[in-house]
Amino acid sequence: MALDYRQLDWRLILAALFLSLIGIALIYSAQYDSLRGESLHFYVKQAIWLLTALIGLAVIIHLPLRAYDFLAYLFYVGALVMLALVLVIGHSKYGAARWFAFGPLHITPSEVAKLALLVALARFQAYSKLPTESIRRLFFSAVMTIIPVMLIIRQPDLGTSMVFVALLFSLWFWSGISPLYLLLIVSPLISLLAAFHWITWIVYLVLLIGALLLIKPRAIFGIATIVANLAFGIITPFFWNRLADYQKLRIITFLDPGRDPRGAGYQIIQSKIAIGSGGLLGKGYLGGSQSQLHFLPERHTDFIFSVLGEEFGLWGTLVVVAIFGYIFYRGIMIASRCRSRFASYLAWGALTILVFQFFVNVGMTFGLTPVTGLPLPFLSYGGTSLLLSWTLIGFLVLADYYWTEY
Amino acid sequence: MTGMTTNKDTRVKIAGALVILLLLIIVGGLFIHQVLRHDKYLEDSENNRIRISPIIPKRGLIYDRHRAVIADNRVSFTVSIVPFERVPEVTTERLSELLGMDTSKINKRARNNFVSNYIPSPIKRGLGIDVISILEEQQQFYPGIAYSVESVRRYDTGISAEAFIGHVGEVSPEDIKSESRKGYRAGSMVGKEGIEKAYDQQLRGMEGTAYLEISARGQITGSYAGKEKVPAVPGSDLVLTIDKHLQQFISESFDSLDFSGAVVAIDPRNGEILGLGSFPGFDPNIFSGVIPSEIWQEIISDTNHPLLNRPIAGLYPPGSTAKPITAGAALEMGIVTDRTAFKPCLGKMRFGDRAFGCWDLGGHGKLNVYGAIEQSCDIYFYQVGQLLGVDTWGEYASACGFGCETGIDIPGELEGIVPSSEYYNKLYGPRGWTHFLVLNLAIGQGEFTITPLQLAQFYCGLANDGVVYQPHLLKEVLHPDGTVEQVEPTVAFTLPFSQRTLGILHRSLELVVQGEHGTARSLKNKQYTIAGKTGTAQNPHGENHSWFVAYAPSDDPRIVVVTLVEHAGHGSEVAAPITGKIIKTYLGESSEKLVINGD
Repeated sequence: MALDYRQLDWRLILAALFLSLIGIALIYSAQYDSLRGESLHFYVKQAIWLLTALIGLAVIIHLPLRAYDFLAYLFYVGALVMLALVLVIGHSKYGAARWFAFGPLHITPSEVAKLALLVALARFQAYSKLPTESIRRLFFSAVMTIIPVMLIIRQPDLGTSMVFVALLFSLWFWSGISPLYLLLIVSPLISLLAAFHWITWIVYLVLLIGALLLIKPRAIFGIATIVANLAFGIITPFFWNRLADYQKLRIITFLDPGRDPRGAGYQIIQSKIAIGSGGLLGKGYLGGSQSQLHFLPERHTDFIFSVLGEEFGLWGTLVVVAIFGYIFYRGIMIASRCRSRFASYLAWGALTILVFQFFVNVGMTFGLTPVTGLPLPFLSYGGTSLLLSWTLIGFLVLADYYWTEY
Repeated sequence: MTGMTTNKDTRVKIAGALVILLLLIIVGGLFIHQVLRHDKYLEDSENNRIRISPIIPKRGLIYDRHRAVIADNRVSFTVSIVPFERVPEVTTERLSELLGMDTSKINKRARNNFVSNYIPSPIKRGLGIDVISILEEQQQFYPGIAYSVESVRRYDTGISAEAFIGHVGEVSPEDIKSESRKGYRAGSMVGKEGIEKAYDQQLRGMEGTAYLEISARGQITGSYAGKEKVPAVPGSDLVLTIDKHLQQFISESFDSLDFSGAVVAIDPRNGEILGLGSFPGFDPNIFSGVIPSEIWQEIISDTNHPLLNRPIAGLYPPGSTAKPITAGAALEMGIVTDRTAFKPCLGKMRFGDRAFGCWDLGGHGKLNVYGAIEQSCDIYFYQVGQLLGVDTWGEYASACGFGCETGIDIPGELEGIVPSSEYYNKLYGPRGWTHFLVLNLAIGQGEFTITPLQLAQFYCGLANDGVVYQPHLLKEVLHPDGTVEQVEPTVAFTLPFSQRTLGILHRSLELVVQGEHGTARSLKNKQYTIAGKTGTAQNPHGENHSWFVAYAPSDDPRIVVVTLVEHAGHGSEVAAPITGKIIKTYLGESSEKLVINGD
């Protein structure tokens, strides 16, 4: 079946391509050495990855939608096996996400698992005969998500695990569950955090009960919510107080690495200075690389947005944010227009991953969100991240192309 | 009732609103940082560098049981290099001149203590104000060099605390990797040996962090406003079970002797260690700074091995102090009763084709268990040992706590050896030894080796109706928030002897001091009765070791003392008098205290 190329969403592809090219330019600047007047080879590698990603995109849009649907669970199981294997025989650096090394090629199973979970959840949500709000349906999709999350948390990689959870909730939302119910489902986790201060917790519980009276959910759901909240709230301080100070510190640092003054905490200070000192117009291309950011080990990966902010100022960051905004707008449009439920979920999930990673990464560069090691889609250095971003674009283009099909 | 599901239009609206909200948050954040706070950040980026300076908490103090200080801290200065601020060639060269250290040594220290580019790596500790004032005045001349006030441990000298207190030193690279030492960084000071190591987590507190602004000239211009400092949490103070007055007395008694040896004093009612000495000792303060290599050489080449912690890691044959094990085992097995007397002691006796002598070649005549312990007759115990056999004897010795660690709360303890047939088969081959070896074991000689602490523990059991409390040094932890954590005594094990057997042994040990033939009758006094046992341990390296172990008052024992004096001959001659004085000091002191409390 030949594709009608004129029908492809070229504007979406061009937006992503533009972001990727900005990324390569920034990577060049981030590793630029003004004394020698040249940059390290990272930008060349990223360019090669971009070509690979474009070829990948071509392959993705030439496969029929049915193929993803058909292979979804197989893909999912394969990804789980990889996640389990990488714990045993994988490599790791700085205690972060693990990968397999095949010569110069690094494969990060947690990135592959993001795609696998997306496809598998999309298929489950699209074809499950259970009613949307049935507990069993919620339970099955939760289990599908929790298995890879448990494997990834052990790596340990909190950021990636959060993407998985966000994906699950977002697809629940897209399946039609009211956001208020989703809040009730998350409420025990909020209890977990609120319980560190008992007044906060009591206030939170009162608000929760108020919300329950307002929403009036089914009895079993309401009771389960209250019980789970009480249990989490009571258990937390009990366990927490039994921990030694250094153990507490380790957990806090895991949840919010920015508090570790020797690692990420320092990076945040420098990142804020870089972004803030960029001002309205920035210091100019290659003009910022000798300042604070030069000493950030992650400046071409996790903190690429800080380089943008320093060299191009507010106008530069707003342009990039606007392009992302356009991609998100197209994502919502495509997902809502699709007649095929599978394609719709697939597009919605792809959109979720992009939005989530964008928000967490950019927020991190000025201290809004925790330092979790999530890359910025399209811009951050890294082959796996770039391939993942482009695969998600591929899903969106594909869903858009076949929007009339059921 | 609000619906549990939403329709598609609502969903699209909610999602659209949410995405717009997130984008607005990002744009708002960028606006705040890039426009509103631009000036401040621009200044930060042009003028300032930020140094991350650890705030070292106060290390907890160590007190004796009456809250007299044994270890506290004094102020000293540490000079460090900040890798990020250093100027190649210049920094190291100038520091080398200032400190009088080789540049290669400085570089090595900087490498070993490297944590991050922005955190100072300690180069030299324990510096005086003279060096620091030079740095203070000429900071631009010393780029990349930082100094900080750091407390250095100061130990009470003259009380021989080194046997239990340990010392602190820089964490070793292997330690940083080990699980138990997580949370330490290169250059951290940590407890090494003794109490300092065992309770390092409590003593050290938690490091804080300060963010300092450094001007282009390398001067600290203040703390960085963009990030709040994390205050340090001070360490907890420890109260030990040690009685400093008694410990000092033990130390002084040994200093006047000119012999090597060990003393252990324990309260048998709870296992609290009242005194612990290893002689010769060393001054634990030398480890607090950088040890001059001459002094270090002197210590490690000393043939008296001051670094050997004799009470817990010195292995010796117990000599006759082990005879209660043999007697107790025989009474329990029904091999003898308290009336049984064997062939009379004529000074020596033939077993197989070899004659075994008694220490008193004049002979003791016919004795039962009371007389045999009172006079420490070897001939009686040879005959008992032969009836017991190697393995039965060994089982009882093991059950009395020998051959395994006591579990005292400081590291470095050794187990010693309780021989068995299996052990001898391995050592000499299955046919290479005779069962007459048990004769040596029965009198505490041969391959049987123990630590002074194990012996003290065993006599704690004899003094306390067979119940042995876990020997320990920590009494209380005083947390910085004012709470006090008490260490409760725990029972470690009970001796494998019935109350009847224990009564017989107790009476026999009393006779050693009270009896007219007792080997320690010189300690008899009117104020209180002492029960004890002398020991003379043969050893291949020279003169015999002299042992004495005692508890008092014998009707209600409050203290058990083991004294070992190396190469000093008979136990009754050297070890017994010291032990007597230690007991007198302690009981005199505590009865005074009782009177004071009574008022």
